[in-house]
Amino acid sequence: MNNIIKEFVDNVTAKFELMGVDYPADLQVSLDFDQRDIHNALAYIKGAGWTQMSLLTCVDWIADNEFQLVFILFNWKNGVRLQVRTRIDRDKPVFTTITNIYPGAQYYERDVHEFFGVEFEGNPDSYKQLFLENWDDIPPLRKDFDAIAYSDRKYPARKYKANFSTEAGESK
Amino acid sequence: MKEVKLFVGPQHPGMHGNASIHMYVDGDIINRAYLLPGMLHRGFEKSMEKRTWMNNIALIPRICVPEPDTNEMVYAMNIEALANIEVPERAHWIRMLVLELARLAIHLMAFGGCGGPTGLYTAMYWAQADRDGILELFEEISGQRIYHMYIVAGGVRKDLPKGIEKKIIAYIDDLEARLPDYEELVLNNPSIRKRLVDNIILPKEVVWELGVTGIGMRSATGEPYDLRKVTPYARYDKVEFDVPTATYSDAQTRMTLKYLEMYQTIRIIRQVLDMMPKGKVRAKVDDGSALRWKVPAGQVYSAVEASRGEYGYYTVSTGELMPYRVAVRGASFPQGLLGLEKYLPGHRIDDAPLWFDTMGICSPEIDR
Repeated sequence: MNNIIKEFVDNVTAKFELMGVDYPADLQVSLDFDQRDIHNALAYIKGAGWTQMSLLTCVDWIADNEFQLVFILFNWKNGVRLQVRTRIDRDKPVFTTITNIYPGAQYYERDVHEFFGVEFEGNPDSYKQLFLENWDDIPPLRKDFDAIAYSDRKYPARKYKANFSTEAGESK
Repeated sequence: MKEVKLFVGPQHPGMHGNASIHMYVDGDIINRAYLLPGMLHRGFEKSMEKRTWMNNIALIPRICVPEPDTNEMVYAMNIEALANIEVPERAHWIRMLVLELARLAIHLMAFGGCGGPTGLYTAMYWAQADRDGILELFEEISGQRIYHMYIVAGGVRKDLPKGIEKKIIAYIDDLEARLPDYEELVLNNPSIRKRLVDNIILPKEVVWELGVTGIGMRSATGEPYDLRKVTPYARYDKVEFDVPTATYSDAQTRMTLKYLEMYQTIRIIRQVLDMMPKGKVRAKVDDGSALRWKVPAGQVYSAVEASRGEYGYYTVSTGELMPYRVAVRGASFPQGLLGLEKYLPGHRIDDAPLWFDTMGICSPEIDR
């Protein structure tokens, strides 16, 4: 762990109440925040040089009845990558948009809304369908969505006649 | 004039991959444009949760067709970070060789792709023929032409075949001698320049707004922001190469950077073949059969510099036989969706494919 990371983590710890810090790989830090702190924390981190949001995604921790939102941020000046994470209630998955901090998050929020059902308040586009046309089931990346059962229900197995094709030259 | 609603793609010779641009045009000027993704959505992220760590290797190269090796690399890097595996030295060098050959192939494809919408089919024929030479090298190295499934957790699947070094050198010597022809044919061609110069400009401040990386970012900011330099993976810190940059990002600049990067890639391949040590190429992830491997619990993100920008996977493991969650960061997600919606309007209809080509948009990695 180098000095830049240590100094940065110290600064964040002084300002916010961290739920956990981990170092999963070289030049990578994961910071767990409370849901209330995340917007202030993201604004602070962006000001500290982490100008690029690489990814916004979600993990469904169904056993804890929680969704975990993960923001991957990158600082091109020193090469340090952050995983900023927070957990929200799975039964009422509502979160305030971060597009005013990272405008590039707009489509990532749509993506997470479509695949996990997390609502992003303040992002008017997040309710529009993006990838899944006329989806009629629970959001598919949730752990309780069973892809095989969905497929069986949506596309029931058809019975084919034994000889459904005709011989060449033979009329039907 | 009346505004007309128009769909370009998914079945259109100028489109790159199975995506469609839904646009509202006035004459041939685009007023509003949106990407309609989802036509290639095969639920990769969901499928990965239902397959073992090893099984997934057959699935992931399909997330980006023209440059599949970056998928295998980030997937392997994540597992190695979680399980704390030391990759053998030779494997690092072989991985670099494969990644750089793939970069060469996709840059050639971009030159070919530029030929289509500008009506210069010669460029397409040349580039596809040259790319085929790389596919033949891949076939010899890995057994497959398109999806190699060669970089696996712990190293690479098997060692390089005997005598492949000579063939690679012969190929890159030949390509390097003919690269100036591409410059003459595409970059200096007055009819192409008319379409590329001062067209589809990406201003510097927009890069940060969208989160564009790769050539799009380097051509606008003038900074050598390349993950191979900033956070070197494999053994990129041991080879010498330059990162071409520019401060004015029009379509011509971005094509020129791709052209200059091909020389740097060839330079890297030469050094790799010179400096590659002998030895083992694969370390074990876990004991026992590869289908029963377990990866220690953890959450990690790894990224590499693909030809289109930062390409990464976020992997969550709970210590089971299968990954708990894998999220894909497609390199062209920002410029393909938000970039197209905000900055394509104002251009002409026939410039839309050029946006796709010079920004390197790959639709399967958006629909993952």
